[in-house]
Amino acid sequence: MNGLPRLIITLTLITVGAGLLLSLVESMTRAPIAEQRRLETLRALQTVLPAFDNSPDADSVNLVAGHDKKGRELQRTFFRGRLDGAITGFAFTVVTPEGYSGNIGMMVGVDPDGRVVGLEILNHAETPGLGDKITRSEFKSQFKGKTLDGVDWRVKKDGGDFDQITGATISPRAVVKAVRQGLQFFHDHRAELLADGANQ
Amino acid sequence: MSLYQEFKRGLWKENAVFRLLLGLCPTLAVTTSAENGLGMGLATTFVLVGSNIVVSLLRQLIPSKVRIPAFIVIIASFVTVVQLCMEAYFYDLYKALGIFIPLIVVNCVILGRAEAFASKNSLLPSMADGLGMGTGFTLALFVLGAVRELFGSGTLLGYAVFGSSYQPFLLLILPPGAFIAMGLLLAAMNRLDARRR
Repeated sequence: MNGLPRLIITLTLITVGAGLLLSLVESMTRAPIAEQRRLETLRALQTVLPAFDNSPDADSVNLVAGHDKKGRELQRTFFRGRLDGAITGFAFTVVTPEGYSGNIGMMVGVDPDGRVVGLEILNHAETPGLGDKITRSEFKSQFKGKTLDGVDWRVKKDGGDFDQITGATISPRAVVKAVRQGLQFFHDHRAELLADGANQ
Repeated sequence: MSLYQEFKRGLWKENAVFRLLLGLCPTLAVTTSAENGLGMGLATTFVLVGSNIVVSLLRQLIPSKVRIPAFIVIIASFVTVVQLCMEAYFYDLYKALGIFIPLIVVNCVILGRAEAFASKNSLLPSMADGLGMGTGFTLALFVLGAVRELFGSGTLLGYAVFGSSYQPFLLLILPPGAFIAMGLLLAAMNRLDARRR
């Protein structure tokens, strides 16, 4: 067996073998990967929500937050934290494309009155040493206790209430704006979210 | 050549990064910290050893006309295995290395060793070669990452070294710093080598 058929057969066998190996590894790692992602969400929930004793990742509401270009619904998930069955707070993710490089994803926790309890940066690709200081607790903690009204949701350089980071204004500006928009959305749907929770 | 010599070659004399200057794209990109360098180096070593073993075992069966696509399929499979396992068991490292894991496929060190060594040698020397080259690559990435992390953020493996009064030399963490640190390390190694002769 020589020539073209041999080339085709060898290459086919190698790719089939590779495919088998990969499907085996994929099926072995599927559960641990899903668990890692769940743990990551849970860790973020723990830092942004007030005390809770339920599993907020299993107690969530999806609201329509708008439509994309093709008219499909864009959903926003609200995780509910409860203590003895009563809602103590909501957590939701916001993503902003306005960072210095790539999207910044974050999770915001609010109490039922819409006061920020905590902020956690989930993922970002900001400049190491500059923009990535948005993940420091000094930056994140200044959001604590802030409400939609009565706070100037801009960085100090733009005349607002939030400290920017020396050498990197773009990243904090994007975060502040995104959190404000998230709070606005929560404010608009607060009645809906609370009412839904009371039924259970 | 004995197996030990095959292994040792990759550490210094033919070190992929510092001597052959191969695989510089991932080297310069991920070495913002010692931990990232170590993680990337170990992942690459695993792929290198795995692909060297398989290529060496199949070297009689693969016709030379299709050897490059065959090698790439083998390498890409190992990379995907590494990526899935890392995501499942070392999630933090997976998030830190991100895009560079899939890019191990195009790391020319790996294809280079498959083509230049594993496709011409039997199993054991190929394993030793992969292990040696991988260890050399890991060492190089660790050293470069450690230097950049130490001066760029004042920490080593995440632990503060210089105390809070140290003003980090930010440039080293940024992309240009990778080239500068790499250049200085190369100069130091060349000098050391020249002395030994």
